[in-house]
Amino acid sequence: MDRTAFEPTPEYGPAPPSATEAVAARTWIDPLSGFEPETPAREVPASAYLPPNTTWNETVAFKPKMYPVGRLNFFYKWPGHGGRLWWRTRYWPTRRRVLNIRGEYNRKTMRREKTILDKRPIWWTLTFLALLVAPAWVPGDAFNTVLSAAAVFGIYAAVNLCWMLVIGTAGIYSLASYAIVGAAAYGATYLAVQLGLPWWVLPAVGAVIGFLFGLLIALPALRLDGFYYALLTLGVVELCRVYVIQSRTFGSATGGIYGAPSYLPEGLSQSGQLLWGYYASLIVMVCALFLYRFVNGKRLGRVLRMAPEKKEAFAQACGVDYLRARISVFMISSTAIGAVGGFYASHFGGASPNLFSFDTLLLALAMLVIGGIGRSEGAVTGTAIVVFIDRVMIDWGPLRFVLIGMIMLLVVLFLRGGLFGIKPQFRTWRDKKKSERRASRSEKGGEMLPEEATETANKDEIYYRRFDKMQRDFLKRLVSKEVIEEHRTRPLGQHSEALDRLLIYFRRQGQIDKYAILVAEEFKAYRIVALSGHRGTTPRVVEDRTYGSPDEAYHALFMRRIQDLLES
Amino acid sequence: MAELKIFGYADKISVKPGDALSFYVHADGASEADAQLVRLIHGDAHPDGPGYQEEELQSPLNGSWPVRKQFTQVGSFCTVADLDHRLALDGSFTLCTFVYANRVGDGLRQCLLGRWDAFGNRGYGLWLNPLGLLEFGYGDGREVDYIDAEVPLLKQHWYFVAASFDAKTGAATLYQESAANRYNSLLSKVAGVDYRSHVRETLRFRPLNPPEVPFLLAGAEDFHEVRGRFVTQCMNGKLDRPAVFDRVLSRAELDELRQTGLPPSEGIVAFWDTSHGYTAEGIGDHVHDIGPHGLHATGYNRPVRAQTGFNWNGRSHMFQVAPHEFGGIEFHDDAIIDCNWELTKTWAVPADLRSGAYAFRLRLGDGKGLREEYIVFFVRPAVPRAPIAFLVPTASYLAYANEHLSFDAEIMQPLAGQSPILSEIDIELYQTKSFGLSLYDHHSDGVGCCYSSYRRPILNMRPKVRMSSMGVTWQFPADLSILAWLEHAGYDFEILTDEDLHLEGVDALKPYRVVLSGSHPEYVSEKMLDATEDYIAGGGRYIYMGGNGYYWNIGLRDDEPWCVEVRKLNSGMRAWQARPGEYHMASNGQKSGIWKDLGRPPQKLMGVGFISEGFDSSRPFRRMPDSWHRRASWIFEGIEGEIIGDFGLAHAAAGGLEIDRYDLTLGTPPHALIVASSGGHSDNYVTVTEEVLYPYPGLSGSHDYRIRADMVFFTAPNGGAVFSASSIAFGQSLPFKNFDNNVAKLLGNVLTAFQSPKAVPGWAWTLDEKQFR
Repeated sequence: MDRTAFEPTPEYGPAPPSATEAVAARTWIDPLSGFEPETPAREVPASAYLPPNTTWNETVAFKPKMYPVGRLNFFYKWPGHGGRLWWRTRYWPTRRRVLNIRGEYNRKTMRREKTILDKRPIWWTLTFLALLVAPAWVPGDAFNTVLSAAAVFGIYAAVNLCWMLVIGTAGIYSLASYAIVGAAAYGATYLAVQLGLPWWVLPAVGAVIGFLFGLLIALPALRLDGFYYALLTLGVVELCRVYVIQSRTFGSATGGIYGAPSYLPEGLSQSGQLLWGYYASLIVMVCALFLYRFVNGKRLGRVLRMAPEKKEAFAQACGVDYLRARISVFMISSTAIGAVGGFYASHFGGASPNLFSFDTLLLALAMLVIGGIGRSEGAVTGTAIVVFIDRVMIDWGPLRFVLIGMIMLLVVLFLRGGLFGIKPQFRTWRDKKKSERRASRSEKGGEMLPEEATETANKDEIYYRRFDKMQRDFLKRLVSKEVIEEHRTRPLGQHSEALDRLLIYFRRQGQIDKYAILVAEEFKAYRIVALSGHRGTTPRVVEDRTYGSPDEAYHALFMRRIQDLLES
Repeated sequence: MAELKIFGYADKISVKPGDALSFYVHADGASEADAQLVRLIHGDAHPDGPGYQEEELQSPLNGSWPVRKQFTQVGSFCTVADLDHRLALDGSFTLCTFVYANRVGDGLRQCLLGRWDAFGNRGYGLWLNPLGLLEFGYGDGREVDYIDAEVPLLKQHWYFVAASFDAKTGAATLYQESAANRYNSLLSKVAGVDYRSHVRETLRFRPLNPPEVPFLLAGAEDFHEVRGRFVTQCMNGKLDRPAVFDRVLSRAELDELRQTGLPPSEGIVAFWDTSHGYTAEGIGDHVHDIGPHGLHATGYNRPVRAQTGFNWNGRSHMFQVAPHEFGGIEFHDDAIIDCNWELTKTWAVPADLRSGAYAFRLRLGDGKGLREEYIVFFVRPAVPRAPIAFLVPTASYLAYANEHLSFDAEIMQPLAGQSPILSEIDIELYQTKSFGLSLYDHHSDGVGCCYSSYRRPILNMRPKVRMSSMGVTWQFPADLSILAWLEHAGYDFEILTDEDLHLEGVDALKPYRVVLSGSHPEYVSEKMLDATEDYIAGGGRYIYMGGNGYYWNIGLRDDEPWCVEVRKLNSGMRAWQARPGEYHMASNGQKSGIWKDLGRPPQKLMGVGFISEGFDSSRPFRRMPDSWHRRASWIFEGIEGEIIGDFGLAHAAAGGLEIDRYDLTLGTPPHALIVASSGGHSDNYVTVTEEVLYPYPGLSGSHDYRIRADMVFFTAPNGGAVFSASSIAFGQSLPFKNFDNNVAKLLGNVLTAFQSPKAVPGWAWTLDEKQFR
């Protein structure tokens, strides 16, 4: 920095005219001069005296508007157990606790509180209970519609959960899931008709077909990525559709193949059949949920979370065999989808080309997207919404699809993670707004606002920030050409009042990023570094200049500090 | 290839010809180092002095040394001699201890006690987990099962914690209760904190207890394929009365134990009574088990004993009075006493080696920076014969050994009045844990470090090194300026160290007519102080070459003199402060702190004592009127003018850094003379805290007349005499202009007179002044 060119300008501090006048240069006499009576006293041009409480007296109020802060607790906070024994239970036979609970001290009262960190098990339990008893509340005139839709919901939710493993967990953009359902349903029905298989073999047959189908389309997944793979699977779906429409064997004439054995017991009433079908589908969905949990929440899921999209190479370099994990997940879910396809055949008594149609695919995609990719609750809720609109609100006619499209569009446009991503998305948005507002209200480098202060554990820091702000505003006004020249000529030793104040402030700063000098060669070359403030972390070099003597290095370091002060 | 670095240490600091000396060397990136025996002459490369000087000597050990990478066990803990594997608990059991954690959470796993193999996940243990929760767990080699408490422990608070395991049902129960009283913990009742937690959970399998896993207090075993077994998960904080029982203790029994500190009689496997074994002379590393099997524990890296326990009630401040209240044994995860490296070379000190400061100089590659190491040691004469002895203040070297002040102490820059000038050595010390700390540093948990030893590489006890925070040489490299002057002026002198003085007492000094101190002999034990006092009173002559000397009371164990202990108490210029009640040293039972507060201010011995310190500038001495009295005027013979030492290697003058003052109220002998004083010290020089009752504006160099270095002279009984230079910078003025200057002249006058068997000049001019002018 060219130090002669330095000029303190009014923008460095709101100095009123009287203060500016007071800073006009004056002479400072070294108080130690008396000890050398033989030589004339050392006189240095220096800044004149400015009372150090100037900024305190000038600042009687901060400009930003202050709002009262503090939140009432609208949620019940569980108290701590205190001296009572807390007997924690686990999901037998695992090590997993029934609820993940954190005990803590409320920073504002030191009251003991407990927070359930993951409430999902509670929501799932309540949902299951609701689904179990739901048929009792279905109005009589809509009973048929609603319960057959609910059964479809169960089956679709199961398929979507498996599909979510492929798209969410494994990150493979496969659109062939319903093609697998179709293939399994067609194959199972065909074999059942041909061989006279009982109903309970159909899911197994479907699983085998699903496995083989999965194997077939997994191979290209090794080489193709993203969009191209989606295109490929779309081609496969279309191929299947065209094949079954034209194939006599698979009922090109009858619009599907029928005659698969049903799992329903003989002689049930129609409402009994509907209930039976509803609960059976629900069981299929629960099985799919368990599968989701065991694939996504265990080793395979963890491995794949280590290798998110576009970071595969890094994961591979770290020893994560993500390809194998992806294909494993793909095969597992294909097999499971095949099994669901077998159940589908038994539920509907056969299969129709509709399974391969593009609108089925798009509806299913809507289910995943609305709920949120990568979450089991997203897959289930999305399915419920879409199936409800599609199958229950039949009166709306084709408008249903417009409605589904609208919802999907809104979700895609405004939500990052579907319905279940709303909470984190809202929090991120709120944090962003919060910091924007705070930034606009706080004067640069200013003291804490109430919102920040309440979240600061050590209240001492709040005062430190106030003091530091006042101090810096004051010290900025002491910086002058004279002070800098005085330091240049004598960096160590007795200094004029203004320079002394500046130096004491600089030296008292915290260790993080505090400047220091590094010896490059003793008595010949020195450099400027900044300390880390963390034991074990070496200082970083802040510039590539070297200085020929300690005094030059002291002064260069001082100039950096002056610059930092004026810029703060 | 790794960056080349070499470090080493010797097992002794003071040797006589014929003694065996062992060297321990660590090298990064090399398998051979070039060794050379050198006699160290001048250690300061400052351009105003003669520069760095050493003399290369013939030795059979010169040449190539095979070196290797060595590993240091960092952290203190206790091992247990459990030969019969009684702690391999296969049935039900209970672990319990009182605990006072200095550091909680921070992502650190700290093992309180257990038989845990962290590498193979085998055994059991009781921890503070990375979230700060009490955790009990065990492993069978494949899996780990654990239970943790409801709320984290708060730091600096006494708790009683226990974990019991019922082998039949698999139920594990955690017990966490506060053991605080009005005195012993950070928070009082008014904070209204509920510290309790009692949690039970049924665990899944049973622990596996292989015989080779050791039981440790405050640590757990780990393994590395190059290094082998070592200890990890070291604890930061105090334990008191840890115990193991072979059955499940009921809540009532644990409550009883928490309140009384006494175990139930049934089912004890081990009960380490950490308050057992205190004597008036302190306590060692042995932790006594009062259980039936005598499973005594031994401290490694000196866990700090004599700390207040869970039941300390503020009444007694010395463990001798109420030992049962001082059961606290404190651990730190960055403590080091002895590196215990593998031996590199052994050397028999040759009979013809003259007394002096020596080193084996080891070099790798270009031999610059960290590629050069000096393993320093001091050679005493086999039989003293010279009239002069230089007493090397090795205890004070240890106090500053490997200090990190520039990096860790926020106050260091305002204190020193400058920004630090760091070298590679400072950065290496900051980067790695394995060189340990000085008595000026804090452990990673914020507690002051009270032990320092030389059985580790001391990177700043080498020639050429400068103290980064002050921009000058300090301690050993600064003292070499005095040795270089003695050598240059041709005096016949020998070397002694603090260690010899401590072990041999006044007998070590007696053979000499005059003894010179180092530039900053700040840390002295009672034995050292007694010996010096007896020596002077017995007719010895003493030149106190520095400032801020005879200040801290330190403790050494006579059988382990490589380690010094200090407790920085409530006064004095201190880098940290001991907790209430922890004032007495474990090494010797004495109260530590500054000697002034123990009734022995340095003025009583040297006529002067610490008054101020500043590191931005030094000032010359000016003759005082008393120096024209014939009792003292001989000191200034041949010196022109009144100003002494307006030059030097330490901020260009002889009076500075740390300075001492004459004070009759603190016991300066009434007949002592101030022959010269420094003056005009900058405002970076502030009056020392022990002289301040109320701080007020004006306690700094340009305001307070007391801030000065007083060059004091007085005669002592039986022909003895004392000359005190009173300034650390004094010795660093000697080498100016190749030892041709008035400080060297003045010291020469004193030393020549002192080494003579004749009476001190001017001793007879004692009558009252009756002058016409």
